[in-house]
Amino acid sequence: MDAPAIATDKLGRDFSGKWAVRDLELAVQPGEIYGFLGQNGAGKTTTLRMLAGLLKPSAGTLRIAGLTHTGNGRALKQVLGFVPDTPPLYDYLTGRQYVALVASLWHVGRQERDERGDALLERLGLGEHADELCKGYSHGTRKKVHIAAVLATAPRVLLLDEPSSGLDPTSVRALKDLLLAESARGTTILLSTHGLELAEQICHRVGILAGGRIATEGTVAELRQRHGDRSLEDVFLQTTGTPHG
Amino acid sequence: MKLLRADLTALGNLLTHRAGRRVLAGAFVGLALLGMLAWWFAQAIFEHPALLAELRRRSGGEEVHGLLGYGLMACPMVATWLGLAQAQRQLFEAPELLLWRLVPGPSWRGPVQVLVRAGFVTACWAGALAGPFVVAILQQRAAPWWAYGLLPVAIVGATTPLLAVFLAVQIVLMRFFAGRWMRLCSAVVGALASVGFSTWLLLSLLTAPHQRARDVEAIASSPQQLPWTVDVGAELLAAAARGELATQALTALCGWLLATFFAFRLVARLHAGALERHLASEPPLLRTKRRWPEALAAVMRKKELAQLLQQPGAIIGFLVFAVLVFALCKQRVLVAGILTNPYLPAEVAQTAALLALWFIAVLLVLYAHMGRLALWDGAQWSLYMSAPAAPFALLRGKLTAVFLFLLWPLLLVGAAGVGIYEVEPGVLPVFGGIAIGGTFAALGVLAAVGTAPLLMRPDTNGQIQPGGRAFFAALGLVLGFELVVAPAMFGWLFLVDHAQRREDGLPAALAQRWTPWVVAAALLYGAVVLALGCLLGRRNYRRLLTPV
Repeated sequence: MDAPAIATDKLGRDFSGKWAVRDLELAVQPGEIYGFLGQNGAGKTTTLRMLAGLLKPSAGTLRIAGLTHTGNGRALKQVLGFVPDTPPLYDYLTGRQYVALVASLWHVGRQERDERGDALLERLGLGEHADELCKGYSHGTRKKVHIAAVLATAPRVLLLDEPSSGLDPTSVRALKDLLLAESARGTTILLSTHGLELAEQICHRVGILAGGRIATEGTVAELRQRHGDRSLEDVFLQTTGTPHG
Repeated sequence: MKLLRADLTALGNLLTHRAGRRVLAGAFVGLALLGMLAWWFAQAIFEHPALLAELRRRSGGEEVHGLLGYGLMACPMVATWLGLAQAQRQLFEAPELLLWRLVPGPSWRGPVQVLVRAGFVTACWAGALAGPFVVAILQQRAAPWWAYGLLPVAIVGATTPLLAVFLAVQIVLMRFFAGRWMRLCSAVVGALASVGFSTWLLLSLLTAPHQRARDVEAIASSPQQLPWTVDVGAELLAAAARGELATQALTALCGWLLATFFAFRLVARLHAGALERHLASEPPLLRTKRRWPEALAAVMRKKELAQLLQQPGAIIGFLVFAVLVFALCKQRVLVAGILTNPYLPAEVAQTAALLALWFIAVLLVLYAHMGRLALWDGAQWSLYMSAPAAPFALLRGKLTAVFLFLLWPLLLVGAAGVGIYEVEPGVLPVFGGIAIGGTFAALGVLAAVGTAPLLMRPDTNGQIQPGGRAFFAALGLVLGFELVVAPAMFGWLFLVDHAQRREDGLPAALAQRWTPWVVAAALLYGAVVLALGCLLGRRNYRRLLTPV
């Protein structure tokens, strides 16, 4: 088996004495799509931000594509793509200009950048809006523009925080196809989502976070089997300890 | 370079898109007005050869250097203001920061881009305030064409290093001392910087010409007292005005800019940690747990009050405004002549002086309060639209809250009257009565302008985003307020004229006899304006809350 593309060892982060993530052990294989499920405040975003190098861990270590953030900052960033819940768009750039900017920042050559960017914008249904200012975009469109921009950099490891929130069904479908295609190309994908359907359809494995730790993980089939062939929703409710479970 | 190019592209897009042009127009009109004032002031100086001769004598023939230094003094003022009050948001809250942190590039690149952006905005403001004055001097001295090319160098040299210092200090402080208290301190410093700059700007605009000439004289006759960066810039431009290139000054300025860049780059490495700590620290909040009333208007009033009282930053803004009002009173802005009018009884002169100061103070906060009616509630607008609530109940609640907020300038001016002008005991009730009438009138204007659908109509996304309309809203508000207080102004001019016609001035007994009638008239007039404003506001608010 290959070395994991994403690996954490007792990873933790505390905010003023409260642990948002604690003793997190995670190993995602190259080309795998791993879904992070959990209630609000379970620590999904904190984990993604630590992996993206936006937040320093308070405890433990992490490796992305065999690299750590200390000392390899630039090399690690080069292989990493991150889609946050609120995309960091420039209000007064057009969608196409923004995609070109992000790809350039990741050192993608002009021709490759333009071809790949245009194809991604088309695929996400943004063709006719690509030359409008980002300021006027809806939340979903902003998200799609940023996803196109990040994918234009051809990341080896892709982190997505709630990628489908705010997207219409057509866009969700396009996103799922894109992510599956990326995974088939060898891109490792870690996404957090509240959409159990999305997780069931595209994730090779899912992990359910509760109280800052992975309470259970495995393929969807394994999880259902472990819980008496119940639906993923029931597994989720039971694992997170909600009354309906 | 890529980030710089992106910002330049975004700037270019402002010109090619309608929304961008609105933003640009709003910014340009304000700066152009300031620039025009600076230009007129320079022309006024040249119209007084005696002043120029005096400057030449006192500065030993260095008056151009001194005058240019006086003009460039706007640069450090703007840099201090923007560095402390505005750039903080760019440093820790700009939406693009996240992208810059993810980019596989050096860690200092993002903060340097913040410095570049802040430097550009600062240079624009400083250019508007200092540029026309300096250009007028160069023109008057028949400077060669290339001398004008050195003006941006002098402006950037006088702004960027100071700005970089402020940004660097904030990064270091946030990196090592982030927390609730640090956020509170930042809010206080930012508010003080804003008020300091506004006070300086107001005093510059409102100070009597002879007083301002004294300031010019003081700086121009002793240019050695100028800050170093301003002095070098002035030296560079003064030499250019003579047709010489001061290479030493130019080298010093460029060297200083380069040193600033490299020093800032070093500090910028701490930015990632500072940002992380800033985001992790909680903003200061004061929370009250008292129960809310039932009536809708009372709930809206309570909401407006809570939004102010639960934010220490907003309370600090109110306190800092008090400092500004006291500074205006101390400087006797607009009222020096009124207080010393020999034809009027002391009580009348003091009441008029307090009313004039109250007028300025209200004018300063009126726009901010107008925002409370519709503009600042953009995010909640869809909630109001979908709620089965009477539009006027919402408006009434907001107006009563604004009325309470508008009592603050009244209290401050009254306190300043007692503390600074030592007004007679009978003056305060009269001032209070007339000013309350004026407050009603101001509220009436707010209700009419602050809800005008043309200026406040929500955009297609359901939010009120004024864009370039904000400028016209501000203009409408100021003009409207001036219009409704115009009868009082005419009354005052009539009174002064009447007093001057009498040999012994206005008798105190006559003034006393008429005082209750004047107060009653002011209250009645204010109530009528308020009623009219509310009628208009009610209709406007209903239209604003109706989907289009």
